[in-house]
Amino acid sequence: MKLADITTEDITTLVGLLTEVQKDELVGVYYSADSIYNPITDIDENWVISTEEMIYTTNEDTLWVKDLELIPYIAKPTPSPF
Amino acid sequence: MANSNGWGDGAANNAIGWGQGANNAIAWGDSHAKSWAGATDIVGLTTDPDAQAFITAAAITDPTQQLAIDNLVKGLKSDNIWTKMKAIYPFVGGTATTHKYNLKDPRDLDAAFRLVFNGGWTHSSNGATPNGTNGYADTKLQPLSVLAQNNSHLSYYSRTNQANGNFIEIGTESPDFLLWYKAFNLTRGNVDGSMDYTPTVASTQGFLLASKYSTSQGLMQYNGAQQLKTGVSGNTRGAKNIYLAALNSTGAAYYSSKQVAFSSIGDGLTDTEAANLYTRVQAYQTALSRNL
Repeated sequence: MKLADITTEDITTLVGLLTEVQKDELVGVYYSADSIYNPITDIDENWVISTEEMIYTTNEDTLWVKDLELIPYIAKPTPSPF
Repeated sequence: MANSNGWGDGAANNAIGWGQGANNAIAWGDSHAKSWAGATDIVGLTTDPDAQAFITAAAITDPTQQLAIDNLVKGLKSDNIWTKMKAIYPFVGGTATTHKYNLKDPRDLDAAFRLVFNGGWTHSSNGATPNGTNGYADTKLQPLSVLAQNNSHLSYYSRTNQANGNFIEIGTESPDFLLWYKAFNLTRGNVDGSMDYTPTVASTQGFLLASKYSTSQGLMQYNGAQQLKTGVSGNTRGAKNIYLAALNSTGAAYYSSKQVAFSSIGDGLTDTEAANLYTRVQAYQTALSRNL
């Protein structure tokens, strides 16, 4: 599934799948004015970015993120902070 | 006689009734010096210089937003809260660029604690909404270097109601310095000492504040109402940046999805000061038609 195929509800459940090389290209890079990509790993150690980062990308050097394959996001378990 | 600008010249009775002479019963003059005491101020043309600096930096052009910022700054100064602030994020203007500025120091610098947005955020006239997946904002403010022990506060105005989960609205760790609404089955503020309470209000919308203002006194308020007042012992403060919408752990963690419409970091606030801050913030949100 690609960005053009999703509904508003999908925005919160899907993420864009990155290769390791693609992740390295995005770290510390602005996707729009005053907003920086933040690639993270999901429960399966896949590198992903959010659909918001894909949708709001205006950086001409990274417009390729709009064509990333979308996968369901499953977060890593977060331990209690206590 | 009326001038070309429609105001009287004071030489005689002004047909329009406004002028600098003694015949003007409503007492408005052609300058502040010639107006009766206080009369000129009611026209609202005097913008606070700190408010104006923010308006200029963030390029806020909407008159309603400009007035809301001006009144907020004037109110905080009137209540003697302004000087206790290190960072004030009013989230006005509707874009990442306007939302990043610190009202207290509106320079586009890390040293001014201007926000750096990371990951997924959606910006609108109602504030900034992190996606709860990887969105956070780095304040660049480190408690150890900026805040004094037993003298600090955190606040967050959430426009999102969210069921209990595992998210943190603002904070850093090692040691903990944070604030969250109704996560892990409780609401917590940790500003030089941990304060928890079990929320009696189901909603996580509204203004949450935690403050430590003496060696033995800490408080938490929700929408200006005291939830907790306790004598907590002070922690040391950490050297990692405070994040909004996440905890600065080993990187960002515990991502929040609560839309933020105001947040502040600063010195400790007393009960009265904290309640006054809520009143000012709520008036600010009301002026922007986004109050809860």
